[in-house]
Amino acid sequence: MSAPLVLAVPAKGRLQENAEAFFARSGLSLIKPRGARDYRGAVAGLDGIEVAYLSASEITTQLAQGAVHLGITGEDLVREQIPDADNRVVLIDGLGFGFANVVVAVPQAWIDVRTMADIDDVATAFRHHHDRKMRVATKYINLTRDFFARQGVVDYRIVESSGATEGAPAAGTAEMIVDITTTGTTLAANALKIVDDGIVLRSQANLVAARTATWTAEQRETARVILDRITAQQRARSFREVRARFAACDARLVAAVRERFSVETPFGEPTSSGMLTLHCPPAQVYALTTFLRENGAEAVAVADLDYVFSKDNPLYAKLEAKL
Amino acid sequence: MEAKATAQAKDARAEALVSSYERAGYARVQPPILQPAEPFLDLSGEDIRKRMFLTAVPGGDEEFCLRPDLTIPVSRDYLASAAAGKPASFCYLGPVFRNRNDAPAEFLQAGIESFGRADKAAADAEMLALGLEATANYGLATADIQIGDVALFAGLTAALDLPPAWKRRLVKDFNRKANLAQDLDRLTLGGSNGRPEYQGVLAALAGSDPKGAHALVTDLLSIAGINAVGGRSVAEIAERFLEQSALGASTRLPKEVRGLIERFLSIEGDPDEAAAELRTLAADGGMTEALNPALDLFESRAGFLAAQGIEPKRVRFSTAFGRGFDYYTGFVFELTDPARTGDPLVAGGRYDGLLTRLGSAEPIAAVGFSVWIERLAIYGGGR
Repeated sequence: MSAPLVLAVPAKGRLQENAEAFFARSGLSLIKPRGARDYRGAVAGLDGIEVAYLSASEITTQLAQGAVHLGITGEDLVREQIPDADNRVVLIDGLGFGFANVVVAVPQAWIDVRTMADIDDVATAFRHHHDRKMRVATKYINLTRDFFARQGVVDYRIVESSGATEGAPAAGTAEMIVDITTTGTTLAANALKIVDDGIVLRSQANLVAARTATWTAEQRETARVILDRITAQQRARSFREVRARFAACDARLVAAVRERFSVETPFGEPTSSGMLTLHCPPAQVYALTTFLRENGAEAVAVADLDYVFSKDNPLYAKLEAKL
Repeated sequence: MEAKATAQAKDARAEALVSSYERAGYARVQPPILQPAEPFLDLSGEDIRKRMFLTAVPGGDEEFCLRPDLTIPVSRDYLASAAAGKPASFCYLGPVFRNRNDAPAEFLQAGIESFGRADKAAADAEMLALGLEATANYGLATADIQIGDVALFAGLTAALDLPPAWKRRLVKDFNRKANLAQDLDRLTLGGSNGRPEYQGVLAALAGSDPKGAHALVTDLLSIAGINAVGGRSVAEIAERFLEQSALGASTRLPKEVRGLIERFLSIEGDPDEAAAELRTLAADGGMTEALNPALDLFESRAGFLAAQGIEPKRVRFSTAFGRGFDYYTGFVFELTDPARTGDPLVAGGRYDGLLTRLGSAEPIAAVGFSVWIERLAIYGGGR
């Protein structure tokens, strides 16, 4: 048997639950045939895949080395841990969970600081006043360095912090921090505020592919199937199916509907009996049904979709272009 | 065999160069390759980390690195020696280590460091002459000479009638590589103004007695239970907060100031022409007194350059040259091949602030340059 495609999935916590739910929605249920404590798994009903349960940080490392083919990890880790990330991995798609921002935060007491330009000025003044550079506590050393360089901030030193970074200014081990935050509550509780233009990265969980992994024809085919299913599921979630049948339904009306409600017509023009199937963004559904009724529809049926399979596979196309 | 012979020939030429520096009175030094990382990070900033080879003592905290240049190691050894503070001149030849995308990480540099000389103009000119000796040693008889003087911009900013925050910003922008002249358009004291929630308070404080305002803001911060957060004192925060009120609505650089800066930055040519233009500019801007020290030094240096036999017409001076080199404080120069564009073969200048940053209690004048041996090695000639 040829080598399987290795899919790396976070091994614990919310990220694991979300990742499993994400694959399950696409009809890919992750199973552990040898028991729940096993760190190797499979996908029910789909041969040629091995699931590796790893920490998000380890997934990132293995993607960079090409030791796994696909993995789920945060964009923050990809940008921080992988030098020249775009040449080593492909961020195939944001998954809509694990949202968090990497931000620059300073003590709330710094009433004179609102922007990165203020920080630049304060950093230089700090060096003159205190004869040392301002310290920035962070675990995002590379992200911080690149962001500060882009902002032209030079007079600072990084203090590496592996946990409880937000406590560093109060503890006196740093003047400010760069850290990840979802709601900002922890920052506020530590009397810190986010600098207005200090968003280093808006991150979320991503499906990531390793460009440097060995990609055999079989492994590519497996990836294509996985991505086809994911695409079908995502497409389904972004539309509702709207159906109606009425005599006045003609090509001109369909064109108007496409224009006004950003709908898609997966099966083309209305049938000879005036049967029409539309895929409509959820927010537009009610307006669309009103419009159809005003134009002669007696009844309009709306339903959720499970999958919408289409001829094209944009996620796989994105991957293939980079391999 | 042939490659080895070529390498030896290269080494022989570099050795010949450094021997000539030794004969000129520069003591040859060989600082350790393994250096504490702190001085490099402190002087060059965090950004240099990605170009450095870092390591640590097993079990220890202190970071070490393979030396990315020789200026800092030579300066530190000098400071630690009995000669510290006295005039001393050194030359060196050896490998330095930088992570580079398109070239080997280990490469040879030669160079000179001269400390404690009070005759700055003469010392500056001597550096350029010795730099030209390096290119001539490799058979490049007429290198392009580009010079600048960052003290002139510092003098200009000091002389301008601007709040301190503006001066800090201008000096900093000059030291960056981006095009300052273009930046001037967009240049605002970013963030220091236009903050709606404080605007009223700032305006109210603007006309008040500075001491009283300072006490008020300090008190307010104390009432909020804030003493020293994140290493900045309440007084520092209050001071800068009030500085913003002093700036008022002037978020844009005044037009006439901008005009002066642009005119200043457009001055270039041979040193004699440039000096005349700078004198006129100083007179027009009413800044003669403030710019005189820097201009006197500039003209005196031009005289010494001519005395070193360097034809003034060969020297290309530009007020804008020298931007992007953070630690230079005066004269800066680069030698390039007129037939090629790009990287300098020899580069150097004056860095009078360096030894203080490295821990010297007294300021010590310092000037020097480094020679990119690998870039010169492509030339076939010799003497």
